[in-house]
Amino acid sequence: MSLAIAGMGWITPLGGGVDAVWERLLQGDEAHAEKITEKFDDQAYTVFRVPDSALASLAPHPRLRRASLISRFAAAAGLAALEEAGVKLDPRNAERVALVFAISNGGVIYTKRFYRDIVESGAQSASPLFFPETVFNAPASHLAAILGITGATYTLVGDGAVGLLAIRMAEDLMANGALDYCLVVGAEEVDWLLCDAYHKWRLLRLEPPVEPFNEVARGMILSEGAGAVLLAREGLIKIESTHAGGYYRKRDEAEDVLKRILCDLIEAESGFVIASANGTFIDEAECRAISQVVPGAIVYTAKPALGESVGAGGLWQVIVGGQALRQGELPPLLHVTSKIPLRISASGSAAATARGAIVLSCGLNQQIAGLCLGMDP
Amino acid sequence: MSESTDASGKNGTARVAVVAAGVISPLGFGLGETLDSLRAARDCVTAVTRFSVAQCRCKTAGQVPDERLLAERRKCARPQRFHRAAHMMIRALAEALRQDAKFKPELTVIGTTSGGMSYGEDYFRSLHLHGDLRRSPTWIANYPAQKPVVDALDTFGIRAPCQVIANACASGTNAIGHAFECVRSGRYERVLSGGYDALSELVFVGFDSLQASTPEKCRPFDRDRTGMVLGEGAAILALENLDTARARGAPVLAEITGYGISTDNFHFTQPNPSGSGPRQAMEHALQSAHLSAHTVDYINAHGTATPFNDAAEGKAIGELFGRGVPVGSTKSMMGHSLGAAGAVEAIVCLLALQHQFLPPNINFHAPDEDADLNIVANESRPASLRTVLSNSFGFGGTNASLVMQKFEA
Repeated sequence: MSLAIAGMGWITPLGGGVDAVWERLLQGDEAHAEKITEKFDDQAYTVFRVPDSALASLAPHPRLRRASLISRFAAAAGLAALEEAGVKLDPRNAERVALVFAISNGGVIYTKRFYRDIVESGAQSASPLFFPETVFNAPASHLAAILGITGATYTLVGDGAVGLLAIRMAEDLMANGALDYCLVVGAEEVDWLLCDAYHKWRLLRLEPPVEPFNEVARGMILSEGAGAVLLAREGLIKIESTHAGGYYRKRDEAEDVLKRILCDLIEAESGFVIASANGTFIDEAECRAISQVVPGAIVYTAKPALGESVGAGGLWQVIVGGQALRQGELPPLLHVTSKIPLRISASGSAAATARGAIVLSCGLNQQIAGLCLGMDP
Repeated sequence: MSESTDASGKNGTARVAVVAAGVISPLGFGLGETLDSLRAARDCVTAVTRFSVAQCRCKTAGQVPDERLLAERRKCARPQRFHRAAHMMIRALAEALRQDAKFKPELTVIGTTSGGMSYGEDYFRSLHLHGDLRRSPTWIANYPAQKPVVDALDTFGIRAPCQVIANACASGTNAIGHAFECVRSGRYERVLSGGYDALSELVFVGFDSLQASTPEKCRPFDRDRTGMVLGEGAAILALENLDTARARGAPVLAEITGYGISTDNFHFTQPNPSGSGPRQAMEHALQSAHLSAHTVDYINAHGTATPFNDAAEGKAIGELFGRGVPVGSTKSMMGHSLGAAGAVEAIVCLLALQHQFLPPNINFHAPDEDADLNIVANESRPASLRTVLSNSFGFGGTNASLVMQKFEA
């Protein structure tokens, strides 16, 4: 069995559309930072939001009428991936398509609203309209309904590594010959509450820029959006290998787990690494592991430009890796202010000769995953 | 199997054994207590004590007592930080590993719906009411859904990667089903599977707001049913390629032989009244097991006791199996433990196969005229069981069915 990417869809703070976002990354653009506040607290936080224009082409659907933003992001990205692949689902072929959804924080906006009503006014004021949208698999269900998928639908929950774990799960599902495609979608929405939680966890920076691989981990900026890849038996970008992943018990163990995963993955030809460095403690672990296991690889992370979107982050990394292989070029890595032992992607970095790429996701809550992409000459 | 694959998975036909199991639920701590409760048709639903339910219609749930749960917690690093869901997982995993200490999983697949939700509630409540936030880093770090799984694995030094499935109330069955397919395909030899969920205020009030939960007794498939009660718990099933299990002399408790999944797009919180979603999942499970409907000896139904669920499920069972097969919902005894439910009920099926009895559907008084089913009413019964089927259906239209069989060499 071979596994490949047949189509990709992208909803990001730099807009929607794989090619359009890619152009902006190549130009060194970074997302517009926006302040968000909460009425019961004075602290303001900075986030990267998806611009309204990115969802402009999303057709109305009854399932999206009251759905949270996360479901809209997911629907737009999923539909875009199918469109790019030229796949139209109908009742005959829809049962041969599985959906695997990656999520971390889920529908936090409605969850907060629902619970706030309970805290402020008691259980009797809780809205039955909000509660269903608090469920982790709500976005996957809405997308399945929009696409008419009637077979396997899974929502996988985890930290920033969940996107790559979802692709691994999709590979397990595709081992079943009854499936032609598996649509893997990762999505996340941002809210003040999430920012506050990550801030109290000392992982958030109050203002951009995000400085990856910095000697001092100053923190990340949260962002929102979705990424989708349609996996098929054939396609230009191959999933050469996936890794089942691992977890670290303490932060100082992350480097060893990353090394082990990298060692398992480097059998394939790897010209560059799409890292998950986001300005937090994981950067140091990634930097050490990459510099020791694949010292010759060019390293890039899109998180200074796009922010940390957690559940969507892994899918975004895969799209970056796939697009870099397809276009033979890598965007410049922004805001590297420390001297680091890595070959970082500079402006106009050529990836033209690269036939493979490693995508590495080190989550903030103990999970780590990786995979290897490749492209035929 | 190497942790890294070359995407060359195959359609396998490996037989899949359950080599160890552990459970904690309102029915009891461990397989033995669970068996006793099932045989005695014990009603383990009690008044909710974890949070105020003064403004809720429903006042009861199946609960795991904290005094005992926390008293039995294992010695592990900073156990006071762990969410009680993690303690339940640890308890269930400890029981499984006592049966087969040599079980070394390559993968863990666990279902949940709400992770460490009550820590999220503690954090938000303290924040919103300007209360004491000193514990907020602990609440935040231990709130994510994968954390109780990682905590449990780590307690026993298990380093297998974990996939945490959140398919609403079908999560536990989906997790076991996916683990089954992973072993059956030949891509893995040993996978740890199961589910967990702990009672939380947000979820409790949520079901209450939908008027899905009842102020009365939970009466699955009864004509006068008025809704569900919630529950909590954790269950673990260790799955292994039957050949490798036997080669190393591992105990074989039962076989999993089939799994079906379907997605019903009718409505987010209500099943299609035709029962098409549940029926499709059950049909797929039977096809996967290469069995016909008449070979099934017992169905552990999803049976939440909501009018919509039981009507749709009852219709699907009636159409597919006829009236002959005994049907019951053990949620009547312990409540609906959401992401744990499918895993706990798989344990119920395992015990039924091992001890050859039909677990009861309690609080059953009057048959529903619209669903002509052979309900295992109010008392457990001895029975000759070879094949059982377990159903779980959830929000989002996710439906899952699992076929388990008595092991015959």
